[in-house]
Amino acid sequence: MLTGIKSIWNRLFLEERPSIGLSFFRLCVAFTVGAHVIPTLLQLQDNYLHTAFKEKNPSFFNWQTLVLVEKSPDWFVKVMAALFCVALGFFAAGLFSQFSCCLVVLGCYYFYALNSLHIGTLSYDILLVTLSLMCVTGYPGDFFSLDSLLKADPFIPHGIRPRDLLKNTLGEGNPSAYWKKRPFFIQRLLQMQLAFIYFYTGLGKITGDGNWLTGNPIWYLMNSPPQSVVKHFVFREFFAGNPALCYWIGVVIVLFELLMPALLFWRSTRFFAIFYGLFFHVVLLVTLHVPTIFFFLFPPMFFLFIEPEKIIAWIDKRRQRHVIAAREKIIYDGRCHFCIASIRRLEVLDLFGNLEPVDFQEIKDLSTLDPRLTYERCHSELQLLAKNGKIYGGFYAFRRLSLSLPLLWPFVPVLYFPGMQIIGSVVYSWVAKNRYLFHRKKSCINNSCFR
Amino acid sequence: MQMKAKNTLITIFVILWAFLFHYESLRANYLSPFLHRPLPKFKFLFPPAGWIMFYRVDDSEVKAAVYGQKGEELELIDPHRIFNNHWLGYDNIRRNILISALDPYSAERFCRYLKRKFPEYDHFAVAEIIYPSVTKYRDKNILKLAYRC
Repeated sequence: MLTGIKSIWNRLFLEERPSIGLSFFRLCVAFTVGAHVIPTLLQLQDNYLHTAFKEKNPSFFNWQTLVLVEKSPDWFVKVMAALFCVALGFFAAGLFSQFSCCLVVLGCYYFYALNSLHIGTLSYDILLVTLSLMCVTGYPGDFFSLDSLLKADPFIPHGIRPRDLLKNTLGEGNPSAYWKKRPFFIQRLLQMQLAFIYFYTGLGKITGDGNWLTGNPIWYLMNSPPQSVVKHFVFREFFAGNPALCYWIGVVIVLFELLMPALLFWRSTRFFAIFYGLFFHVVLLVTLHVPTIFFFLFPPMFFLFIEPEKIIAWIDKRRQRHVIAAREKIIYDGRCHFCIASIRRLEVLDLFGNLEPVDFQEIKDLSTLDPRLTYERCHSELQLLAKNGKIYGGFYAFRRLSLSLPLLWPFVPVLYFPGMQIIGSVVYSWVAKNRYLFHRKKSCINNSCFR
Repeated sequence: MQMKAKNTLITIFVILWAFLFHYESLRANYLSPFLHRPLPKFKFLFPPAGWIMFYRVDDSEVKAAVYGQKGEELELIDPHRIFNNHWLGYDNIRRNILISALDPYSAERFCRYLKRKFPEYDHFAVAEIIYPSVTKYRDKNILKLAYRC
């Protein structure tokens, strides 16, 4: 029996499984925190400085903390606001993920203690619990992150030719960051958190002071006065005139909330529960003025119930499809460690395997790839041979890559901003000319490898 | 050995976290009434009364309104001008945050805030708008002065 319990426990929390879902969730949490807290920072004078109208939450914090935070001079509040924004940017980009997450949590607590009036809601408490769990490990930074790109540039041992190193990591069996495995306990605790918050919310509605069985809350809401929490939507008047329908909708909602843990954790009903959960939150978004957290945090939390192995299988299937089909060829200098490190980073970004790296130093006749390619052209800058037959070089190759690689999409507006081709080309040429300086091979310290 | 230590740490963390989560979810509304004594709250992490989102919605409703007085003229101030935060996708004013101003203990601080924010007014009046029953008398409300400043 003990072995059985151990095995179940192991499967639930300790088993190492891909952390890609958690990495995606990090992006959603960062966006939610930003959407909820940053608008309040834009009005520092009204919300947080000594001139603000403040409300405290003594049941969440202890008095000592509230008194200490209240003593903050205005300059300190401004420093904290700046620090919070920088930390949030780092957390979203996945740079020093665990540390930046801790700083974000610190900022969230600080501004909550300073003034709970605007940001303090029950859903904000859920956000804090979620963020606290995200800080426990660095797993959320495993993918979709700058951390994963930095880790893609390992120390290259002396005596090993860089192109050999690349050969070992490209192609089949490539240990890419997207299927990195970690103990599953953080994702499992987040799953449990979502499922049981639903359960306890449902329980609260029908016990104690909850009035979802004894009253008719949805009907009351539909009849609420103008400028209330209910939005104006098409069927509002219809519901306002149908108390019986509102009552039974309320009962169904409570029933689903109570059943949510079972529906989500039982494999046969999981898909339905995820679908229902997403639908429920869309309905909330359309009908009520609920905090941002309701539609940016909870829906992605439902996706944490998708088995990570299924996500990996789906990605692998797409990668396989691209291997069979013609891929875009990225032509790089295999004698340059910096170029190899860059290609390795691109490889991490290339989630669906759209790119095929080609070392031009290994190809005797470059015209076999494309008649327009020459040794000089390839040596001077990185070349991208696109599927449409066009060749992009240097900065233009990177700009084109930003369209092909979904993880670079956030940079598309910057790279395609008018005038960027001038700045980008100058920066690229400088980097390309000095590329041998950027790597760790001591013999090339004076750029002697550049020919 | 290292793996065993790691697993032990994870196990302890999971047990502690799960215990705290369920304890705080049940403490205020179930465990304390059951044991007839207030149980200690774990500060800094969980909401004070558990997960009780929209657990009670009543037929009656109370809102706050702020009027600014310029000479003899009394003007209703748009609450969005009082608390001017633009969130993505929702409106905090519609979530009735202005009701905090009705608390008599907040009066002095709120008056100070209003005077700084709206120097164009000489005086302010903070009122309570009571909707006795939103279903029976949908358009009826009672306006009650909370305080002046």
